[in-house]
Amino acid sequence: MTTEENSRNEVEISIEDLDVTFHDNSGNEVRALEGVSLDIRKGEFISLVGPSGCGKTTLLRTIADLQKPTDGMIHVAGRLPREERLMQKFGIVFQQPVLFDWRTVQKNVELPLELMYYSRKDRHQRAKDMLEMVGLSDFADSYPSQLSGGMQQRVNIARAFAIRPEILLMDEPFSALDEFTKEKLHEDLLRMWRQTNKTVIFVTHNIQEAVFLSDRICVLSPHPGRLSAIVDVTLNRPRTAEMKYTPEFNSLVEKVRNSFEGGSI
Amino acid sequence: MTTVLYPVLFGILILVLWQTKTLHAILHTDTFTLPLPGRINAIIADNFPTILGNTIVTVRVAILGLLIGSAAGYLIAVLVVIFPTLGQGALAVTSVFTAIPIVALAPVMNNWTKDVSGVVSVRSAVSKIIVVALVCMANMSINAYRGLTEVKPFSEDLMKVLAAKPVKMFTKLRIPNSVPYIFTALKVGVPSSIITTIVSEYFAEYLMGIGRQIKENILMAQYAAAWAYIVTACVIGIALYALLMVVQALVMRNRKAR
Repeated sequence: MTTEENSRNEVEISIEDLDVTFHDNSGNEVRALEGVSLDIRKGEFISLVGPSGCGKTTLLRTIADLQKPTDGMIHVAGRLPREERLMQKFGIVFQQPVLFDWRTVQKNVELPLELMYYSRKDRHQRAKDMLEMVGLSDFADSYPSQLSGGMQQRVNIARAFAIRPEILLMDEPFSALDEFTKEKLHEDLLRMWRQTNKTVIFVTHNIQEAVFLSDRICVLSPHPGRLSAIVDVTLNRPRTAEMKYTPEFNSLVEKVRNSFEGGSI
Repeated sequence: MTTVLYPVLFGILILVLWQTKTLHAILHTDTFTLPLPGRINAIIADNFPTILGNTIVTVRVAILGLLIGSAAGYLIAVLVVIFPTLGQGALAVTSVFTAIPIVALAPVMNNWTKDVSGVVSVRSAVSKIIVVALVCMANMSINAYRGLTEVKPFSEDLMKVLAAKPVKMFTKLRIPNSVPYIFTALKVGVPSSIITTIVSEYFAEYLMGIGRQIKENILMAQYAAAWAYIVTACVIGIALYALLMVVQALVMRNRKAR
């Protein structure tokens, strides 16, 4: 076994018997996650798939230390999520673009670097490189409101990559975009993932999207949220748009769909 | 362009109705009680140095009161965000000040500040500034609190994931987000600081100031002179509001429509 394969098999995030319970606005107890155990390997592209209420976003937020576990353990690179978060090891992209409209595109990408006290010169160069990677160099001095939704989401991806995070967390990042923009961003994301070799945790309710992007797909079921299956995606890499029309792709989509408890959704 | 044009045209229409005494016919009044614009204008021209002297006294109080009150209001809002449980009460208490009539507040402050300085103009100014500041404070604290807390969804989560320290949460997110809300508060604060100053001057110890002059002239039935000061007060209000608009345009020049 080569060293590269060794590092690929190394466990980056280990989740053991995780329970997350919280109270909603009307005070009812919501069992968002129950007994979830999962090992995520370093450099792996993993998707969390399931209908709304299955706890996929909660699982992502718990890894990022935005939500406290009620019971069970999460370790990220052998440490607690909080420690990893404070070392800025996470990059995050939310469902809607979170850009500060008083900052230019360039300054928005520089934000995480400012928080880690990078020098002005380093910040500028890094943000410039990131904007080039997402193809928005010409818009560095624009303001977010001057950009389309797809472009705004690309700025979010550039910002997430800017700190060179060990783990990239994406919470339905493309769900609000049109099909053409979405396909383009799928290819951009896979290219950037290949170049940087980050661990990506990708939340989506779109099965095709999950199959196209992932190494493995975790299928979650609702009420209470629990992990009901893990599907290995056996498609070759690099992935191309043509693969979406192959029988292998369709049978994987079918397999994921049939993994939901109680059959198809 | 029409936002400037229509009010100006409306103003001219009123002036024409006023000068041609049509306004007097509508209001069943005479040119003694409501002097003609030409006459008011002549009084302002003849007494320009005196009016200017009074204007400076009033504007100084209004601006200092507005700035001190707004700064205090903003600080309260910041404290409410930091200590939410204590804070909600503080916000409520602050807004109680707006419910106290200025006519009640002014004499209280006159008494309270009587030992501040041996100079009448100074202690009178301090008293009036406190009244103006109290009135402006609540307005700013409520708007600033909204500006500091009503951030885009997930902004706080983003900052947390990026390991932002609590201070950075303010300097990089909350404070920049509050800037448009500061201007919202000031747009109300500018006119109300002038009105508050003028009303406080009715009760002030010091005899200079536009409010005082309006009161004295009305008491002596010199309506034309009183109107000269009323017009001056209007001009100050418009000038300060225009100044605020210019500052806002400069500060927010980079924020495009949302």
